[in-house]
Amino acid sequence: MRIALGAVALGSILLCAGRASAEAVAEQPDLSDLSIEQLAQIKVTSASKTEEPLSEAPAALYVITGQDIEDSGVTSLPEALRLAPNLNVQQVTTSQYAIAARGFNGVQAGNKLLVLIDGRSIYTPLADNVIWELHQPLLEDVQQIEVISGPGGTLYGPNAVNGVVTVATKSAQDTIGGLIRGTVGPEERSAAARYGFSLGSSGAMRVSANWLDREGLPGGVGPDSDDDMRGWQAGFRTDFGGETDAFMIKGNLFHATDDLLDGDRLSAHSLNGRWSHVLGPNASFVFQSVYDWYKRDVTRVRDSLTTFENNAQLNLTAGRHQIVAGAGVRRTNDLFINGLNAFAVVPERRGLWVYNVFAQDRFAVTNDVSLIAGVKLEKSSFVGWQLLPNLRVAYQPSKRALFWAAVSKAVRTPSRIDRQLQLPPLLLPSTDFDTEKLTALEAGYRGDPTSWLSLSVNLFYNFYNDLRTTEFLNGATIPIELLNGRKGRSYGIEAWGKAQVLPWWRLSLGATTLHKSFHVVDSRIDLQPRNSLGADPHWQVVGSSDMDLTSKIRLTLDVRGVGPLDLAPEVPGYVEAGGQLAYDLNDRVELFVAGRNLLHRTHAENGDPAASQVAHRTVYAGTRLRF
Amino acid sequence: MRRAPVLFLAIAITLLAAAPASADISDTAVKAAFIPKFARYVTWPPAAPARTAGQMVLCIIGDDPFGATLNQAASSQSVDGRPFVIKRLSSAAGSGDCAIAFIDGSHAGETLSALGRQPILTVTDARSSSARGVIHFAIVGGRVRFFIDNAQAQARGLTISSRLLALAIGVNQR
Repeated sequence: MRIALGAVALGSILLCAGRASAEAVAEQPDLSDLSIEQLAQIKVTSASKTEEPLSEAPAALYVITGQDIEDSGVTSLPEALRLAPNLNVQQVTTSQYAIAARGFNGVQAGNKLLVLIDGRSIYTPLADNVIWELHQPLLEDVQQIEVISGPGGTLYGPNAVNGVVTVATKSAQDTIGGLIRGTVGPEERSAAARYGFSLGSSGAMRVSANWLDREGLPGGVGPDSDDDMRGWQAGFRTDFGGETDAFMIKGNLFHATDDLLDGDRLSAHSLNGRWSHVLGPNASFVFQSVYDWYKRDVTRVRDSLTTFENNAQLNLTAGRHQIVAGAGVRRTNDLFINGLNAFAVVPERRGLWVYNVFAQDRFAVTNDVSLIAGVKLEKSSFVGWQLLPNLRVAYQPSKRALFWAAVSKAVRTPSRIDRQLQLPPLLLPSTDFDTEKLTALEAGYRGDPTSWLSLSVNLFYNFYNDLRTTEFLNGATIPIELLNGRKGRSYGIEAWGKAQVLPWWRLSLGATTLHKSFHVVDSRIDLQPRNSLGADPHWQVVGSSDMDLTSKIRLTLDVRGVGPLDLAPEVPGYVEAGGQLAYDLNDRVELFVAGRNLLHRTHAENGDPAASQVAHRTVYAGTRLRF
Repeated sequence: MRRAPVLFLAIAITLLAAAPASADISDTAVKAAFIPKFARYVTWPPAAPARTAGQMVLCIIGDDPFGATLNQAASSQSVDGRPFVIKRLSSAAGSGDCAIAFIDGSHAGETLSALGRQPILTVTDARSSSARGVIHFAIVGGRVRFFIDNAQAQARGLTISSRLLALAIGVNQR
């Protein structure tokens, strides 16, 4: 029934689009008679509404632009990631989310995603997961978010197993001027200010601060908790440099509190520098250095982490070869004190190293066909060097179409929890817990079959080995230990399309399927399959409509349908909708009303028995002032 | 309840006032309109192809964010009666006759370097490139503006008029 509806919707999109295709091309007003001074006074939308240029990256890639985020009316990074059809986003509490590509989603299981914000890796070595509540960037700063499902290839650092999310913020040179935004509603309030200015003759800098106040969610799968959140984040970014050298420096401060228990608080800060240097016509390099710190005091658990990370990357072009080589080192010092229950991570404080070295050659076999061969070597304090090859082939019969196929190997490095969580005599530390391994086969198509339509279809078939299991060491009696006892396969399809139906109306539709087949080796028993396999929907459909009703009024609506979670029967499938109606009062002031989860008062998205609250209907009104 | 008709009336008036429906102007369209117009405010050295050839060659090197928009914008412009022709290149190879080059994509820095000191007005965009040409587009208060690297212009033998310099956010003189 649902599939039939989807087919009808897609059919009607294609029909409408076919009719409108001729009009959709020449939609921009004629600017040729204006003087350069007049051109400099035209108010513009900050990002192109037409399709991003077809990227040559032979991977399952979806791009969320900054304009998509503003039009959708979302107020947090995880909510913005719902725009990517190849991610499954599960809200756990007001500020906690579980986000995954190609399965393994959950509070415990979601450990196979690499997330980078301007090159700063934000997964933690404690559990290889991302603590989303620590990352509340000003969404108006976001240039674009690239979402790759699958291992992503050679060029991404550790933990890129099932997906890579790359958030890039705008250059400071591109955010000169002021911005003030405020939103208010019964469930959440926010305020933000940003000011950008030119620095010297060629540089620029922006400083910004944002404040958020979100009410708690109702209890659902887990008991009701006081998960409301109040906090602020402040930061700066400066970009400067000349013809051969470009520099970027970025800093960030964050503080938030919740009401779970007295004294609960989150604090974080980071400093991030990048130097790009052009060596000559055929060579350039980028060096990046990151310092990052956070501390969480939540429900009598203290978790703090200091990270130093350095990466260097060299790009060379020689004839038909494009070579990229690089190295990275990440040092983390973390402290984990559990005052809530008797489970402990021993030692409480531990420093870890992760090293990686990589090289890739993109070889243009013919003008249409490229072969990409890459290898990454990865080592951590817990495990020795891992050899991670990947081979890709890209066929570009025209500028409008890319066919690609890839075979890659990826691993998840053991986390502190995997190795050192213990509660003797019940749970013993797992001193030889090994990497979880993936061999991924992928193929895909991405292209613009006509000027008004873009399409992408990806297929994947994954083989996993040595996935985590929780097992009795002697038959059916304690002690328990974490072992690498599970293997299996998963496969699925990811497809999405965007159609410029009319010059003022854009539609998009995306769908993913996921099939999982796993078993524990030697007929052993895994006591907590959900902690390793996650709880995933076997299908997900997202659609959106983006209309410029007049030159001043924009209406964006989105709908998503998510199937029931396989290993969390208490979370049924759901359909939800959201949107934003925005009105430009003049070229400086924008007014909007927006909402999320509008169809139901509440719905469950995640099945964590301890933490999960239910997502609720959220509406707010706001204004954005630019000067 | 009594307010509802008033509200609807207000919305109707707003909708009418704003009609006819038209799309927002994208920064890409404004940048495309700017690029051919820059030619009027730049003087190339006498031996440069921009002075000697029968047409002004406008090159897009690397990624092309403009598509047909730039062809449209350039078609109505000319310099001393010489029309623009658009040339799309994947690298600096073949750029010898370019008068203006818009350079974009992940290899923009290398491309700029490969152009050496040729008399070409190089244009880059802060949105997609940290490499900087003579003109570097940026968004200022929701409007398209640019930085000018006058030192690089001089090294390429280009003279930029004060009218263009006056519009720049910053001018690197050195």
